[in-house]
Amino acid sequence: MECRELTEHAIDRLTGQISQPRRGDLEAHLEACAGCRAELARIEDSWQALGVDRDAEMTEDFRLGTLALLEDEMTRGRIRAFRPGPRWQRLAAQAAALLLAVGAGWLAHGSPGAPPGKPAARETGSPAANETVSNVSYRPADQAGRVAVSFDVTGRRTVVGRPEDPAVASLLAYLVSRGTQTSGEKSQAIELVSSHYGSGTKTVSLEIVRALTATLKKDENPGVRKKAASALAGFPMTPEIRSALLDALAKDRNPAVRLTAVEALAAAARQAPADERTIESLREKAFDPSENGFVRARAASALKAMEF
Amino acid sequence: MNSAGTGPADDRRLLERIRRGDTEGAAELFERYGPALLRFSDRLLADRSTAEEVTQEVFVKVISRAHQYDGRAEVASWLFAIAANACRDRRRRERRATVVPLEAVPESAQRGEGIERRLMDREKREAVRAALALLSPEQREALVLARYHGLPYAEIATVLGISVGAVKTRIFRAVETLKLRFAEGEATWNAAN
Repeated sequence: MECRELTEHAIDRLTGQISQPRRGDLEAHLEACAGCRAELARIEDSWQALGVDRDAEMTEDFRLGTLALLEDEMTRGRIRAFRPGPRWQRLAAQAAALLLAVGAGWLAHGSPGAPPGKPAARETGSPAANETVSNVSYRPADQAGRVAVSFDVTGRRTVVGRPEDPAVASLLAYLVSRGTQTSGEKSQAIELVSSHYGSGTKTVSLEIVRALTATLKKDENPGVRKKAASALAGFPMTPEIRSALLDALAKDRNPAVRLTAVEALAAAARQAPADERTIESLREKAFDPSENGFVRARAASALKAMEF
Repeated sequence: MNSAGTGPADDRRLLERIRRGDTEGAAELFERYGPALLRFSDRLLADRSTAEEVTQEVFVKVISRAHQYDGRAEVASWLFAIAANACRDRRRRERRATVVPLEAVPESAQRGEGIERRLMDREKREAVRAALALLSPEQREALVLARYHGLPYAEIATVLGISVGAVKTRIFRAVETLKLRFAEGEATWNAAN
């Protein structure tokens, strides 16, 4: 081993990944080289020093909040209201019958020329015209003679109902917050919710409020976040909505979203006396020299309107 | 309740449960890896609240991508890879300066500790975080995984999507930088000890 290889050997040793021969080489070299002994001490000291940076500990609030979020995400993924079980099963059975018939025909005739699927499909009823079967895969017969056919079914559904109906509220909440949607689709869902509840007189589903607050907090598109803030502003003020708006005011990167939050908080303060946290947040924004001028001015005029 | 062990096979079973829509599976995976991923993100981003957001983001992604896990890497490596990517995205998006707010570091809560001692601890932590902030993000990722999470080189390579040689080079350079940094502040350091 040469002196220039010391750091590499030392790191291997510190991380417990040094091989026995290399360890032997290192120890032999250290015995003979005072310079490397001193250098090794410095490397080990540095490695050791990193240990004083204590691990971030998970707070109970964060833990519980995350567990709730995960539960919410899992629930969203499981929404069944819009893919009713019996219909799905019937469709799956129909498609399976169709495909099995095609497979059987192919086996019997050596080619897929004849359309054996047609009669089979007629017997059980064809899939709906707007539904398609794709991505089909087959598993050969098992010992019991059972084959398996896997496939995807896609289709279009129309759900009709009042936004207050639990099923429709769930659907809207899902559409407002679903991460894989385009921003445009998400904005349309928010607008629909906003136009329905915007009068401030109807009771809003908690699920929709949660979906909107989550969107306001997390959506990457500032336009969508701003729409979510505007929609929340139109609902009767609740602690959850106020908290989401205050968070947006404090943390959102986009001034338009912060401005919407200020305006919503100011409007709420006109209806009922503002709480301490709201006043403090507005005061902070009004005097923050790094804040956007519009946000600052709006926060100042909101405070003025409160007449402290 | 489905109980799970702690090995890689159990991790895979947890992912399978998540794929099937089992909320408890997601909760167990979070309880198992949440603290480590929070520490990892906190050290990469040097901002506790952003680290918390990233940790949540990681688990939300795990739920939506559980079906994409192909089993080639350990589940733990897959999670750290998602977290490393999320931290990189966050850095790119926010162009956050690598300033280290000490508020992010929990104060010692040990009773009977003198204020001087706590101040010294604070100074030491400050020195360490300032030194970590000197490293490039790539070096910091590799060093944090090796030093604080004890991952072997091969696993770090999987997490970061680079070769084992590149991992060793990054850690080597990180240690060289830290050694110089700590040598500069040696007098203060010794005084604190």
